[in-house]
Amino acid sequence: MNSNDVGRERHRRFDRVVSVFHRDMYRYAAWLCRDPGIAEEVVQEALLRAWKSLDALREDGAAKPWLLTIVRRENARYFERKRLETVDIDALSPAQTAMLAETDDPELYDLRQAIYRLEDDYREPLVLQVLMGHSTKEIAELMGMQQGAVLTRLHRARIKLKEEVEKEAAA
Amino acid sequence: MTTSKENMNCEEYKEALAGDPTASFEGGAVHAATCESCAAFTTEMRAFDAKIAKALAIDVPDLVLPELPDIADDNVVNVPFKRKQTFSTPTWIGIAATVALAAFIGVRMIDLDPGSGLSLPDEILAHVDHEPGALRVTNVAVTDQLFSSVVNPSVGTMDRDIGLVTYARSCIINGKTIPHLVIQGEKGPITLLLMPDEMIDGAMTLDGKGVNGVILPLGEGSIAIIGERDEPLEEIEQKVIDSVEWST
Repeated sequence: MNSNDVGRERHRRFDRVVSVFHRDMYRYAAWLCRDPGIAEEVVQEALLRAWKSLDALREDGAAKPWLLTIVRRENARYFERKRLETVDIDALSPAQTAMLAETDDPELYDLRQAIYRLEDDYREPLVLQVLMGHSTKEIAELMGMQQGAVLTRLHRARIKLKEEVEKEAAA
Repeated sequence: MTTSKENMNCEEYKEALAGDPTASFEGGAVHAATCESCAAFTTEMRAFDAKIAKALAIDVPDLVLPELPDIADDNVVNVPFKRKQTFSTPTWIGIAATVALAAFIGVRMIDLDPGSGLSLPDEILAHVDHEPGALRVTNVAVTDQLFSSVVNPSVGTMDRDIGLVTYARSCIINGKTIPHLVIQGEKGPITLLLMPDEMIDGAMTLDGKGVNGVILPLGEGSIAIIGERDEPLEEIEQKVIDSVEWST
């Protein structure tokens, strides 16, 4: 295979992987940082890093956790670089408001708000499990935690969300 | 996930289920089958999870790939470059034209993933609407590096002599990453989408809000050319067709 073929194959492989998983990358980033604008930046950086280290991905079947790990690191780097603590959830930008208000279903809107307000430690494993379909073992590996601790967080996250939604419904 | 703990009590079962409502618990299944309260809790948690999944599924903007640098030793650049051209059209004409174009074009957020259900012309017009870079007027050409990373060997080659290329990004159309280029025309920016894998039977007309264009077949692929409503495209169409060669 000559160098042009190698370059072509690399582009094709990258396109294949990215076209399948870019939605997951964006949603994971958006729920990590809770800001659509920052999420787009994080995904851009993550795509660039993925491109540069594509050879490290041995099997395309492992692309999803690999890409999400890159997104997670890039999100952390973003906040380190900007010296930001976290997004201020009480002073939402128009983009953040739009992210939460994408639904006409009031129950869904309340639930989305409640997820948005969840602490990072609870929100992240929930996103990985419910949205990304990761097992608790995979979440534990990605977050560098014990599986038991992940289960505890997931349990608490759901209980908190249920309480919030029930409180909202009663109000 | 399967948990092997047998003889769970209600509290243990509910705690485990709230950690993972999709899991099956060997001991828990036996328990839930005989405990009405836990069986109801299982149904409730699974329904709640479905709502959480729906709430988490926020809209995703179109994917715009960053500029991908050449990887060392790959020598992926295979584009016959020409010297940068100066911009002959007065910039103010372009600016005015772009403002007019922007006024006509509403921003639409759409899902451009495979299976979006849009026809190729509709997907192309929606993409152009949503790509603000396409409306940017500048007399500064993109760098050779950027151009070659977008029009890369997996696509083919393109002669830059066709016009002043002021924008180059890799974008996704119909699930495939393709070069999105913009050159400056007489009335404003002209968008070119090079689609090496989109084979069409014949030319297709593009008729958008304030814009007109065409998708032209070229070998096993096609090229979309979109300009302002009154932009004369015939000359540029021929130039573009002559300048592009697919890699496969």
